[in-house]
Amino acid sequence: MLQKLKELENEARLKVKNAESLEALKEIKIHILGKKGELTTLLRSLAALDPEERPKVGSAANALRLELEKLFISKEQVLLDQSRGDKWSIEQIDITLPGRQASLGQKHPLTLITDEIKEIFIGLGFQVAHGPEIESDYYNYEALNFPADHPARDMQDSFYITPQYLLRTHTSPVQIRVMEKLAPALPVRIIAPGKVFRRDDDATHSPMFHQVEGLAVDRDITFADLKGTLLLFAREMFGPEQKIRLRPSFFPFTEPSAEVDISCIICEGEGCRVCSDTGWLEILGAGMVHPRVLEIAGYDPKQVTGFAFGMGVERIAMLKYGIADLRLFFTNDLRFLKQFV
Amino acid sequence: MQVPYQWLKEYIDPGMSAQQLADLMTLSGIEVGAVERFGPELPGVVVGQAKKVEQHPGRSNLTLVEVDTGGDILNIVCGAHNVKVGDKVPVARPGSKLPGERLIEETKLYGVLSSGMLCSAQELGLELGAEDEILILEEDAPLGVPVDRLLGFDDQILFLELTPNRSDCLGLIGVAHEVAALTGAQVVFPPCEPVESGRQLHDFIQVTVKDSEWCPRYTARVVVEITIKKSPLWMQLRLLKAGIRPISNVVDITNYVMWEYGQPLHAFDLELLTDSEIIVRRATAGEVLITLDGVKRELDTEVLVIADSTKAVGLAGVMGGENTEITETTKAILIEAAAFNPKNIRRTARRFALPSEASQRFEKGVNHDAVLDAQNRAAYLIGELTGGKVLQGLIDINSSMVKPWPVQLKPSRVNKILGMEIAQEEIIAILSKLGLPLKQVDEDQLLVTVPLRRPDLIIEEDLIEEIVRLHGYDRVPTTLPRGELTQNRESMPERLKTMVRNLLVSCGFYECITYSFINPANLNRLRIAGDDPRLRLISVQNPFSEEQAVMRTTLLPGLLKAALQNISYRELNMQLFELGIVYYPQKLPIISLPEETERLTLLVSGLAPEPNWVVPSRQAGFYEIKGALELIFKRFQIEGVNYLDRAEPFTHPTRSAQLLLDGKLFGFIGELHPDVAVDFGLEQPVTIAEIELAPLFSKANLVPRMVPLPRYPAANRDLAVVVSKEVCAAKLEEAIWAAGGELLDAVRLFDLYEGKQVPAGKRSLAYSLVFRTDEGTLTEAEVNAAQNKIEEALLGLGATLRS
Ligand SMILES: [Zn+2]
Repeated sequence: MLQKLKELENEARLKVKNAESLEALKEIKIHILGKKGELTTLLRSLAALDPEERPKVGSAANALRLELEKLFISKEQVLLDQSRGDKWSIEQIDITLPGRQASLGQKHPLTLITDEIKEIFIGLGFQVAHGPEIESDYYNYEALNFPADHPARDMQDSFYITPQYLLRTHTSPVQIRVMEKLAPALPVRIIAPGKVFRRDDDATHSPMFHQVEGLAVDRDITFADLKGTLLLFAREMFGPEQKIRLRPSFFPFTEPSAEVDISCIICEGEGCRVCSDTGWLEILGAGMVHPRVLEIAGYDPKQVTGFAFGMGVERIAMLKYGIADLRLFFTNDLRFLKQFV
Repeated sequence: MQVPYQWLKEYIDPGMSAQQLADLMTLSGIEVGAVERFGPELPGVVVGQAKKVEQHPGRSNLTLVEVDTGGDILNIVCGAHNVKVGDKVPVARPGSKLPGERLIEETKLYGVLSSGMLCSAQELGLELGAEDEILILEEDAPLGVPVDRLLGFDDQILFLELTPNRSDCLGLIGVAHEVAALTGAQVVFPPCEPVESGRQLHDFIQVTVKDSEWCPRYTARVVVEITIKKSPLWMQLRLLKAGIRPISNVVDITNYVMWEYGQPLHAFDLELLTDSEIIVRRATAGEVLITLDGVKRELDTEVLVIADSTKAVGLAGVMGGENTEITETTKAILIEAAAFNPKNIRRTARRFALPSEASQRFEKGVNHDAVLDAQNRAAYLIGELTGGKVLQGLIDINSSMVKPWPVQLKPSRVNKILGMEIAQEEIIAILSKLGLPLKQVDEDQLLVTVPLRRPDLIIEEDLIEEIVRLHGYDRVPTTLPRGELTQNRESMPERLKTMVRNLLVSCGFYECITYSFINPANLNRLRIAGDDPRLRLISVQNPFSEEQAVMRTTLLPGLLKAALQNISYRELNMQLFELGIVYYPQKLPIISLPEETERLTLLVSGLAPEPNWVVPSRQAGFYEIKGALELIFKRFQIEGVNYLDRAEPFTHPTRSAQLLLDGKLFGFIGELHPDVAVDFGLEQPVTIAEIELAPLFSKANLVPRMVPLPRYPAANRDLAVVVSKEVCAAKLEEAIWAAGGELLDAVRLFDLYEGKQVPAGKRSLAYSLVFRTDEGTLTEAEVNAAQNKIEEALLGLGATLRS
């Protein structure tokens, strides 16, 4: 009986090995393991055996069945893979073709920079304020301590609409408008982004450009706070290693006043063409709010102090993105605009 | 302000190089824009003395000069005729180099060997003298010495970029005071005691100041027996280094003293002053003066003039008159040193467009105390250098009320404002280096007296700035403001603007920024006419050009220009937008702030999306813009935008829509009218849109409300109809919704066809319909019934079904 089993196994292995299709394999499987198959038939004849021999043959037969079932499964897989080989190659895709990109546009680089400046200062507790672009002489000059017929007005050549109204030359009038509205409430912490206009048109000046004004007024605002705030801004905008340098300067509406430089981002302070070999780049003007300005806007300069700063957005964008020509901001050349995605 | 370093050193010795001083000044508040060497190097050019001067044997217009350069004797052929025996001259020996890479060599000129060249001032790089005039050096110039050194070409010039408050540094003595504050060195004042002789000028000179408000101080001196000629070479060179053109001795000295004291001076030819009289008065209406530049000026009572008994002889503080100008024949002069009202000078200088070194100083205000010093210094120099006699006496009409003023300073406040500790001793030390006398009133109170030379120091904060700038801005610590927290989110309109930008960017649009001022001709080109509010333009009074003449009432001209430029760069496919302000006046000319409202303007042209291998591209037009706007409306949950089949004056008559929200017009979309496109030079179709943002923002609702998810499955059906083009899509959809009843859940147009497959004048539209109810799963029969009703409704509109 065991001999018969052995013969059956050999026969099955040979047939499986030679099977060429899934159909043929199925036939063979039925022939051997099916209800009327050879192994089944053989098992049925166990009853006729000697009771002592029966368990031994029975377990050998079951082992063979399991063995053969495994054999059929693995051969089945081999045959299946063989039969789909063509299908795979027909379905081959070219993974090097460009992907389907959504057609995105982009914001103007000046919007990107303004948004970043806003984000930095909002994070520091500043509110965003806005003011009109056509301003009165009072808010643009008078209230900012530029007296009429004063040489300080020459610092900013204006486009006039009428003797009383002009295109604002800076975002500083927003300082006054905000303080007037809030006084005597404290604290005041705002930034004011927007367009400004000066009668200047050459390679480094545009008659329209963008500024962001900053103002903080409270009981204990100090010059050191101004310096700390600007250092933090410079590092957020240009990198954690940035240094800043304050140089004394003059603005009618601040006292003391400063021009603020950052260490040159091109040469990192070594000196290069961009920084005229100084290692420093001027990025903004700042100072402590002039007591007269506080007073005009409704605060008592003995009780409160404040700092203010104003920066050119174009200047920061040029430095940050490496833009060499100011005019590119306003020609709206797609070859330029598409570089900021 | 140009500061020649050697000249400055006459008043103070900083004890450092020019560059070091420049750096120190820049970091303490006087910005030095540049430090430059005065003149070029002139290798081989030395001082020589003419020993013999003869005519060239062959050419009568040339001379032969034998020069001694301190050992060598050279024979040189010369084209100039001003050299006399004994004159010291610049000799360019063979092998020497002149500016412009000009190499001098031994050459034969008409048969005579010339061993080098005698140089004119211009050939040495100086803007001095005539082209064919050899520069005659000073008599004491040592032979053989390099000329560049002799003339101080190696001197350094500091270019100060002064802020308007530091007019005190518009004179070298003022600069010396600043240097003293920085270095602790002492200021040395130049001699200014003229030797007086001759008549007492009060005996025959009469000066009257009729407007003391506009002329708080007027001083005069008289110098006689003057010979007008060139000033000494050293003075001419110093003026050149300061950037001033030398003219003649008297005029040069007035300029020289102005550079020293910051006090402008003027000299009149005394013999041309009728009755030897000076009257400082306002001009009369219609009075006329020809100024030194030869221009006839019409005056009125807003102008202060210097006059004699019969006529105006100068625009006070701005420019002298031609009628009393110093000339070669002048023998006697009256020197004027005065203080004028800064505002009036500023107005006059602006009105006549005559900005000058003098008016620039007067409009910033001169030191009333220094007027007399400058007067005396000028008289001293004129006496010393012109051989003239300074007459006895001096006229000084002084109604100036300005006295040194006290400013209180609390050291505790210095530290409170700066946020740091500067010791009181240091504060006192800084103030005394600045030359500001002070008194200690009590422990925390100093009384500082500010001299007239520092008119910028008025309040305590001005002194605080002086203290911190000299202490060093770099020593200020960095801290952050402390205080209450505040709510600091952007306002709703700003957030909505950001959302609009984000949505458009995600639709493939690029943001543009164009000028807020436009050329009004563009509105004509857009055929905007009649009482269209877009023609209510706010004009700029002083634009650079017509391109920037008026404030925009529409953003279209800017975007059309952007499109034009992009086409010229062959960037033909574009989707652009700008979000910006337009300006509408309440009244013209404006008497109050105009209304500034936000507009969104879009422009598409060429193909969209950019040609690619995945999805087809099509000509971008009306539907690209409409789709982008619909997305914004959807994001803001705004329903009820209506499209009216009406064109703008500049849009295509049948490819335009006006947009209404709650029945109110708020914008348009349209293809640019082909004729207008031609006028703008646009060679490809362009579609534009402009909408007001305020109405959208006021209706925007950003908070989505969730509706429960459907409980039963939907049934999807497609429906295609062929219908006349006259039946618009909105009408079909309306009919579908009306007939679909409660079971209809969604309708979407998924195909539109016009062409050969359908009869002329008709089009085929295919809709996908979704039926659903919350009552249960719909049966086939229920859906069929609903669809039949829809089909019947469409048949009623003249449609036929397509299978
Ligand atoms: Zn650099």
